[in-house]
Amino acid sequence: MTRITGTTRGPAMRFVVDGAPVDAFAGETVATAMLASGRLRFGGPDESRGLLCNMGTCSGCLVTLVTDARRTRTRACLLRVADGMRIETAGAS
Amino acid sequence: MIDVAIVGGGPAGQTAAERLSGRGLRVAMVDEQMRPGGQILRQPPADFQVDRWLPGRGYRALKARLARFEVLHEVTWLGGQSVIGVARSGDGFALTLASAAGARRLDARRVLIATGCYDLPVPLPGWTIPGVMTAGAVQAFVKGQRIVPGRRFVLAGTHPLMLIVAAQVVEAGGEVAGVFFDQPLRAIAGPTIRQAFAAARHLGHFAEAAGARLALARAGVPVRFGLPLVAVEGRDAVTGARFDDGMIACDRVALCYGFVPQSDLPRQAGASVAWSPQAGGWRTRCNAWMESDVAGLFVAGETTGVAGAEIAALEGDLAGLGLLCGLGMADVESIAAPIRARLRRAGTFAALLAEIADPHAVLARTPPADTVLCRCENVTIGAIDATQAFAGNAHAVKLATRCGMGVCQGRVCEGALLRRIAAATGQAVETQAGFTARFPARPVPVGDLVRIAPDATN
Repeated sequence: MTRITGTTRGPAMRFVVDGAPVDAFAGETVATAMLASGRLRFGGPDESRGLLCNMGTCSGCLVTLVTDARRTRTRACLLRVADGMRIETAGAS
Repeated sequence: MIDVAIVGGGPAGQTAAERLSGRGLRVAMVDEQMRPGGQILRQPPADFQVDRWLPGRGYRALKARLARFEVLHEVTWLGGQSVIGVARSGDGFALTLASAAGARRLDARRVLIATGCYDLPVPLPGWTIPGVMTAGAVQAFVKGQRIVPGRRFVLAGTHPLMLIVAAQVVEAGGEVAGVFFDQPLRAIAGPTIRQAFAAARHLGHFAEAAGARLALARAGVPVRFGLPLVAVEGRDAVTGARFDDGMIACDRVALCYGFVPQSDLPRQAGASVAWSPQAGGWRTRCNAWMESDVAGLFVAGETTGVAGAEIAALEGDLAGLGLLCGLGMADVESIAAPIRARLRRAGTFAALLAEIADPHAVLARTPPADTVLCRCENVTIGAIDATQAFAGNAHAVKLATRCGMGVCQGRVCEGALLRRIAAATGQAVETQAGFTARFPARPVPVGDLVRIAPDATN
């Protein structure tokens, strides 16, 4: 899991996965930042599945986006990280 | 109400948009990605600057077209949104769009569906272990997100794209333990020699594959033929790939058995489809102007059958002309003739590639009964086979086992299930009926559908 050189990324930011801080850069998807931090498990039965397609088709990377207003199950491969964003890999809403 | 909604920002959507622009039509393009390009040109986010992005010769023409498209002012770009529904509404169509921010409606007189394809899923032991990805997934990470999504990769499958992906991983600084073709080398060389004329006309593609092979050789990456992937090993994460002659240690396995059309939206709208040869999947039927048998619903690119970016772009161009014709705006036949001629020429190479990459031998094998076929609902091949005596069609098996009832909505398991049913009943897979394509085509919170916003373009 390495970020490729020869690339200038957006500003550094930090979001939260299952309560733990994860570093990312603006423009990265939640899936990218999770993989880059060594997190392989996303959702599926018993939260045991990894990401399969990375193109929005398999829904294997469904995670829960938590805001004060609501919990939304959404595909991590399509969701851009935002500073302070809260993600959970367990617990469908 | 807009005039044309184009679903999909790949080569087919781009050429259609170019053809439709400059005529006072209201055109919008919707895509799940934030930026246009499709899977072939998965663009890095606007926040990134990339030195030498996709420098390969094969990307040149595609990048030039994308650059032309990105400066078209007449096309409204609706990126980062999924089309989850297409339904007839009056003389036109009502599309339902969804993103993490909510759902909305978009009304259009005509629709072009150019949603591309996805990697053919092949159930095999261990394919649910985290660390197994499709080759397309790995490639999209490298192209668009600029990460190598693992340390040590094994690529396994039947499609020559593996060579390109492996070379891109190596160039990006990743390690590739090996590229393993399921089929023997003669299955690739034979058709190429037999169709030398078609091959010679498309030397660029072969040069690209040969260049990738050379880069892999320089990096010391073995490329082997006639070695089926038997199983992926590991418990919580991938630790190896097992072949007949031993185990290769790795932390990622990328599967590359070919591609199947995205078909949910045309099927949902009621368009008729046919089972594709070789890799399978539903291709949408259409006429010479790319119009499906639902009047006003056009299709182009891999939606009509997987044939690559060049053909997708030509079909998108034809669809653009067809849409103009339907909207009463042009004498299009003379413009279409040379496009049709180029389509015929490109078709010979697409057919050759499909024959080379043919996964039929892989799909004909039956993995062990405890192999998961439906990843979402954890349904094994054994559980599905146990229902065969009373459930002889996909719908009945779905009700009996939950196969296909999960969040992928059957996209990952449908083909494998239809092949199981065909094998059990002794019927051809192309005669099987698939799942019923239902709204919504992508997962969306029910609350968002309740609060759906009306079409703001009215």
